[in-house]
Parts: sequence; structure tokens; C-alpha cells
Amino acid sequence: MDTSRPKRILIGKVGLDGHDRGAKFIVQALRNAGYEVIYTGIRRTPEQIVRAAVDEDVDAIGLSLLSGAHNELFPRVAELLQEEDAENIVLFAGGTIPDKDIPHIESLGFRKVFTPGVPLAEILSAIEGELAGRSDGGGAIV
Amino acid sequence: MDALVDKIRGGERRSLARAMSLVDQSGADAEALKDALRRETGDVPWWGFTGPPGVGKSTLIDALLGMLRERGRRVGVVAVDPTSPLSDGALLGDRVRMMQHAVDLDVFIRSLATHGREGGLSDATLHCARLLELAQYDPVLIESVGVGQNEVDIASVADICVVMLGPGYGDEIQLIKAGLLEVADIIVVNKCDTPEANRLLAEVREQGKRQNVESRKSKVESPKSKVESRKSKVESPKSKVQTSIARGGSHGLASEAPPTEIIGIEAKSGKGVDALLDKLLELDRTARGTEQRQRYRHRRILGEIKRGVMLACEQNLDRALTAPAAKELLAKLERGELSLDAIVAQLGATPARHN
Ligand SMILES: Nc1nc2c(ncn2[C@@H]2O[C@H](COP(=O)(O)OP(=O)(O)OP(=O)(O)O)[C@@H](O)[C@H]2O)c(=O)[nH]1
Ligand SMILES: [Mg+2]
Repeated sequence: MDTSRPKRILIGKVGLDGHDRGAKFIVQALRNAGYEVIYTGIRRTPEQIVRAAVDEDVDAIGLSLLSGAHNELFPRVAELLQEEDAENIVLFAGGTIPDKDIPHIESLGFRKVFTPGVPLAEILSAIEGELAGRSDGGGAIV
Repeated sequence: MDALVDKIRGGERRSLARAMSLVDQSGADAEALKDALRRETGDVPWWGFTGPPGVGKSTLIDALLGMLRERGRRVGVVAVDPTSPLSDGALLGDRVRMMQHAVDLDVFIRSLATHGREGGLSDATLHCARLLELAQYDPVLIESVGVGQNEVDIASVADICVVMLGPGYGDEIQLIKAGLLEVADIIVVNKCDTPEANRLLAEVREQGKRQNVESRKSKVESPKSKVESRKSKVESPKSKVQTSIARGGSHGLASEAPPTEIIGIEAKSGKGVDALLDKLLELDRTARGTEQRQRYRHRRILGEIKRGVMLACEQNLDRALTAPAAKELLAKLERGELSLDAIVAQLGATPARHN
């Protein structure tokens, strides 16, 4: 019997744009790399994302966004995670995010911001690196 | 462990979520929690949904969630998707169709991967359903992976088994011939907004009528209930490593099982789903009798014992059949010193005989 389980990552799209080819590409790549990927689909609210992430006890959330509302939506997700006492969930972001906004997003607790053109291998190794030291979620509760 | 159980019972959502991760693993803590769950639960009927990929299981569960919430029920969902055989990873996508309930605190949805388990439900499915029960969700809905043998697996775990069919999969009639009508409490034909689905619905109804006539005939000779034939289906030698005790066990749940209900719906628009829900609630009520509850509890636990023993046997056997021991056995067989039967007997297993 397995003593460990694959890491779980929730991938969701916030914002109003209805295009999720990029998110689905990442979902597929993460699955092939051995992650359990919970995909929530497009046009999700920060509330929906955080509720799902907590209930699914994921190790990380990857948010994708193309519509430019990152300065409202990303802080909200970080804030809700704090309210849920779930800051141990690692945050990643991806999408068309101007370089000048990246420091602010990182200051909210997002570990990495992946902009278009970052090679897949780099994304995967960054995620692996960030999640490597984490113990399995359930152990701490008993 | 008692403290954790109390927290979950008291509605602490994060404890529930993390306990679900814990039971997806092994180890002393995980096993202690699983045993506590076995003791503490068993009163709530589980509704199982199976059917081929894309038939509309998640869409239907989403519609049912809305209607059950209107009736004031708190609903738990365990949704199982397949683990990739190549990477150990999985795409758990059932939530995409259920997001309208994502912020409703009286709904709890958990996505699980099969972890390569043959039957289409991971071992954690049972534990997570029990955890939902402990957290006062009632009913508990289970969406299983719908390919091959899995219908059988869900039938042995769920109290009420819904098998979904839809247009465009080709093999439905074969599935029906293979005994689906016996495994299902309700057969749902989805996507009845399409002519193909309506044709399928008519065919399934026809098949169902024939089946009921046959079973009535055989009842005259021997009073074989649907549950018993379900049992023989599940325990037939054709099924792979048998992981579960069949529905009802040797004492069938009902000696007079009603004919399988066949219902056409449009899960997407919700058309027909109210009639389906009425039927489900009716079955749910009958499943609540004390005697039934005890039987289901015991059947599930016996299934787990059986699966545990089989896994252990399989591992022992795998060890016994690796070189050099295996080489020697093969050599003896080839020299004519040992028959295959003798080897089997020597390894301590008595193979199931098909008579
Ligand atoms: N035409 C039509 N399409 C439907 C209906 N119900 C669901 N669908 C569509 O069928 C597709 C699959 O639906 P799901 O609910 O994801 O199916 P599923 O059985 O859960 O799929 P898996 O979990 O992948 O096995 C979606 O595109 C739905 O919109 C219906 O009543 N009519
Ligand atoms: Mg589904």
C-alpha cells in the first residue's frame, strides 16, 4: 500500500475571459508529471476557488487569468486563504500579467508568476521545487 | 483520534478535508481513523452513479444537488476519476460541472483518483463517504469512473445504484446484456433532448420488459431475487480480483426486489430529474430501515476485509512465484514431476472451480 499520495493542485481560471487553452495545457502537463489536478473550469470567483481548494485539501493553487483583473482578483484569493487559515496552500499565478505588477503579486504570497513564454519545463520544475519540502497534508491533524 | 472524530462531527470543515487526505494514505494514524469511522457510521444511504465517460454523471449530480438543497438536505459528494496509468497523476474534473454549489457550506464535494484500483473506486472512496456521513451530510452521493467492471464495484459499495446511459457510446445494449439491469436500481438514459437517446430509451425499456418477464418466470421455479442475481453477477468468476462482498450478501436485502426503474432525463436542462429524484428519495427511505442499515454496514466492512486478505495473498503469491522458486516449479512441471494442480495445491491456494 502506498504511504504517500501524489501532490494535489487546483487549477482554476478567474476573471471574465472565456478562453482556457493555456490552463488546460498546464492541467494536462501537471497530470503527466504525476500530480492530481483538480480543474475547476473558467470564470470562477475567488470565493469558489478558495472553498474548493480548502475542501479538496490541495497543496497548491494555480490561478490563470488573461483579462487583466489580476490586481483585484489575486489579492482577494490571498485574503480568503488567510481567512480560512489556509495560507499553507502554495499560490502560483499564470497569464498575461505585466512585469510591473509582478512584484506586487509576489508580495501577496504568490510564490511564482508565470507569464506567456515561460517554458513548460521551467514551470514544472519551479512547482516541484516549491512543493518538495511539504509533508503530506493529513499528518498534522491527529 | 476521538478528538478528531468529534471535530468532524461538530462540523469543522478543515478537519474533515484533512481527514480525507489522511484516509487516502496508510500508516497507524490513518488506520486508526478508518477503524473509528467503521464504528461510527453506517446510518446514511449512499447513492452511487456510474456510466460511461461523458454520459452526464456530474451534470446530473449538480442538478440533484440543487434540488436536494431546496429540500433542506446537506449533501456530500465523492467524485472519482481515473489515475493515469503512466504517471500516477490524475485529472479530477468533475467539479467543473458542480461549481454553482462550490460556496454552499451545506454541500461538500471531494474529488478522488482511483490510484490504479481495478474496480473504478479507490479504497479511499469508502472512507471519504464515511467521513461525510460523520460530518452529518445526508445523503452521500458517489460518482464512479464508468468503464468495464466498475458498475459492479459501485453496486457493491452504494446502497442505491444508478446506472447512466446515453447516446453515442455504441455498447449500451451489450452492457445491458452483461447484466447491468440486475446491478442497477435505476437506469437513467440521459441526453433525451436528442433523438438517439430517445431511441436508446425505447430499446432499454424493451430490454427491461423482457428481463422482468424472464425473472418472473424463474421466480416460479426458484424465488431468486434481483439482489441475489446481482450477487451472482458480482461474484461470477469472470470478475477480476474480487474486491468486494456483493450487495446483500447471502441474506438478500429484499426478497421481492421491484423491477429496475428506467427513466429518461435531460440532466443539462433538468428535465425529468424531478421524477428521478422522487424515485431516489423513495429508495432512500426504504434503505433506512434498521435491519437494512446493519446489513449494509456489515457488507461494506466484510468487503474491506476480503479485499485486504486478497491483497495480502496476492503479494505472498507474487513473492512465491519469483525466481528461484518459480524456476524450480517450472522445471518440475516440465520434467513431469509435478502437475499444475499439484503446484497450485502446494502454494496453498485452492482455485475457484467453475462448475
Ligand atoms: N445534450 C445534452 N448534453 C448533456 C446533458 N447532460 C450533460 N450533457 C453534456 O455531456 C458532457 C459530459 O457531461 P459530464 O456531466 O461531465 O459527464 P460525466 O459522465 O460526469 O463525465 P466523466 O466524469 O468524464 O466520466 C458535457 O458537455 C455536458 O454538458 C443533456 O441532458 N443533454
Ligand atoms: Mg464527471
